[in-house]
Amino acid sequence: MAKDEGKLDVLHLDMDCFFVAVEVKDDPSLAGLPVAVGGNTDRGVVASASYEARAFGVHAAMSTAVAKRQCADLVIISPHFERYTQMNRELLRIIEQVTPDYEPIAFDEAFIDVAGAHRLFGTSEEIARRLHAQVHDELGLSCSVGVARNKLLAKLGSKAAKPTVQMSQGPPRRALVMPGEGVTVIDTDREYQFLHSHGLRALPGIGPKTAERMRALGLNTIADAVEVGRARLIAHFGASLGSQIDDLVHGIDHRRVHRSREARSIGTETTFDRDIFDPDHLRSQIFQFSQRVIARASAQGLVARTVSLKVRYSDLTLISRANTPDAPPRSGEEVARLALGLLDHISIERGIRLLGVHLSNFVGAETAPGEQLSLFDGGEADQEETPQTRRLDAARMEIARRFGEGALDHASLVAPQRAISRNDIERPH
Amino acid sequence: MKFRTERDNLLDALITTSRAASARGSLGGAPSLQLSLHGNTLDLTGSDPDLVIESSIEVAGANNGSILLPARLIVDIVRSLSAGAITFDGGSEEMAITSGKAEFKVRVPVGAEITRIAPLPSEGITLPAKRFAEGLRQVVRAALTDDARAPQLTGVLMAATESGIRLVATDSYRLAFCDLEGISALAQGSEVLIPARALGEIERLISASNEEDQTILFRHSEFDAVFEVGNVKLTTRLLKGNFPDYQRLLPPSYPNNIEISRDELGAAVKRVRLMVRDSKDATTPVRINFSGAGAELRVLTPENGSAAEMVEGTYEGEDITVAFNPNYLLQGIEAVQSDTLTIELIDSAKPATLRSTGDANYQYLLMPVRVS
Repeated sequence: MAKDEGKLDVLHLDMDCFFVAVEVKDDPSLAGLPVAVGGNTDRGVVASASYEARAFGVHAAMSTAVAKRQCADLVIISPHFERYTQMNRELLRIIEQVTPDYEPIAFDEAFIDVAGAHRLFGTSEEIARRLHAQVHDELGLSCSVGVARNKLLAKLGSKAAKPTVQMSQGPPRRALVMPGEGVTVIDTDREYQFLHSHGLRALPGIGPKTAERMRALGLNTIADAVEVGRARLIAHFGASLGSQIDDLVHGIDHRRVHRSREARSIGTETTFDRDIFDPDHLRSQIFQFSQRVIARASAQGLVARTVSLKVRYSDLTLISRANTPDAPPRSGEEVARLALGLLDHISIERGIRLLGVHLSNFVGAETAPGEQLSLFDGGEADQEETPQTRRLDAARMEIARRFGEGALDHASLVAPQRAISRNDIERPH
Repeated sequence: MKFRTERDNLLDALITTSRAASARGSLGGAPSLQLSLHGNTLDLTGSDPDLVIESSIEVAGANNGSILLPARLIVDIVRSLSAGAITFDGGSEEMAITSGKAEFKVRVPVGAEITRIAPLPSEGITLPAKRFAEGLRQVVRAALTDDARAPQLTGVLMAATESGIRLVATDSYRLAFCDLEGISALAQGSEVLIPARALGEIERLISASNEEDQTILFRHSEFDAVFEVGNVKLTTRLLKGNFPDYQRLLPPSYPNNIEISRDELGAAVKRVRLMVRDSKDATTPVRINFSGAGAELRVLTPENGSAAEMVEGTYEGEDITVAFNPNYLLQGIEAVQSDTLTIELIDSAKPATLRSTGDANYQYLLMPVRVS
């Protein structure tokens, strides 16, 4: 592996059925059972399934009703997002001990660039094994790590390192989980063989529709697609998709690992302890979150061009709506006004379980576009109001900095009901 | 109808009148020009529902008559011909145009018609053309160009003052007004709201002319206004609706002001504006720090980088930074006539005023871009 030193610098760390694993850790009596985390109603959806459940064909995004038909003994557990967030923070803390150059993808995945970590922590493989062991020892959870030259191969690598599952030849039929390698290293001289051991659908970016179109052209394997060549792929699929497919089948991926501190999104969200149907309650939360995200963005000297509102319904479906106005919002009130505008376009009749306000599409405060003021906008009175609003925000930020958040708030913001969790999230995409 | 004329003589009149024959609020068919011959006088008329431009030229007439021809095509044909004689010969359906060995037969467009205008009062007022045009140059560009938001802002207010007339235009981001002293075009206290587009044409006509002492004859009714300049007569619909109470917007006083070279400031704005590649992106401002040293301009963009330039000037007031749309700012600078201009400021969220130093007859109010 020494010859590859300095080449295999991308790690993909992926937690093994994360939500379920956290539930099993908190309730060891679930170990070895087919377990799914998801909404336990008619409209519920599986968010994560244990390997035992997967043996019965249960998988994420499947409706829980169907999942129960697949596996009569399936134990369905309502999600505890606050716990997942907490474990996610622990995970990021472990990664951060190795390098700040990592890019969290969701609760349970991260790409890590270890180019700068070799002197302290050894080869890429040694770093991967260290992380794998630390996650096991400190979190009591298991993960899989792929080590490769780029994100595409690293991701395929972590998948190859996962546990596998088989059904015993019953009766009674039982799921047998085989532990995986934990760490897979894709040396450059194994890349070809490794890549070609996958089907086309295993490549991220080739979905069912693209795969179907490729099949119609007689392209059934990665080797077929390599053979047909870039020119013909582009002729069939257009410049964008065609060249993307050609890159994928050659194991080419130029995306870099975005450091976590280059936050692409600053957000605050909360999971309620019951479904919320009351628009006033949601508005009050939005107002509060808007103050908080604008404070965090301005503390970093950032101005966001995009405000988005994130909502998770009780059945776990997640929707997100965004608005990018000409002039970026500069105060909590302006963020709130945009977010409330988005709320108007979201149905809340189904009951809202999670609510979040996020800022993204950042530019430096110095280079951000401004808002052309109008001579007529509400006359002189309004021209006074805007700077005042901003001064109020500035004062509030200063108080929050000195006395902690929540020290001072709008009287109308004292929520009628406390949220059970509140997560401040900064994440790259 | 049959006549003969020189190409250049005809082309000017065709171009002038065709500027009113736009597709705006189209009358049904393709925009058309009407040609009418009486003896040796050819009357050309271009029109849309809001604007009519008529021009008369002398030609060698043979048979009187009148015809509507497609405006764009007829201009293109005449423009393409070599200098020299052109003969028009046709009836009410088709017109033959011959010049040298070239021959065109142009049909009357389907559905072509021109706008009829009710007669206007005959007594008019005479305006000095060059001074009026200079006033228009300073004011017209501040009007709104599309009328989706507020039709009355697409007009220029012409109001009688005690000592003359005042022209005012605003698109809500800036407001320009100009006092033409000693000109009484209107009854005391009265005002009319004239579409900026029509006044733009007047300004163009006068600027194109070399005549120094040219005059404009101005008449108006409740609905229309007529401007007659040389052999051109322009009739426009007046705009309805109330022009904003702009006097309320004029700040009573300014705590800060700078005297600065118009040309140096204009050149500097043009240079730093180069960093704003997308001309539609009106929100990338030029930030100007006003201090004892003068005005320091900065443009910062996330994509292209930054530009900065210091322009010396005489500043009185506290150090402040105000951001402006560079295009709006430049139009204000260019509208000022004198070599030195004065910019008066309150703060980064209130209107600033540009004017000639020592002269309050022209003022250009500009709202800043808020950047913090």
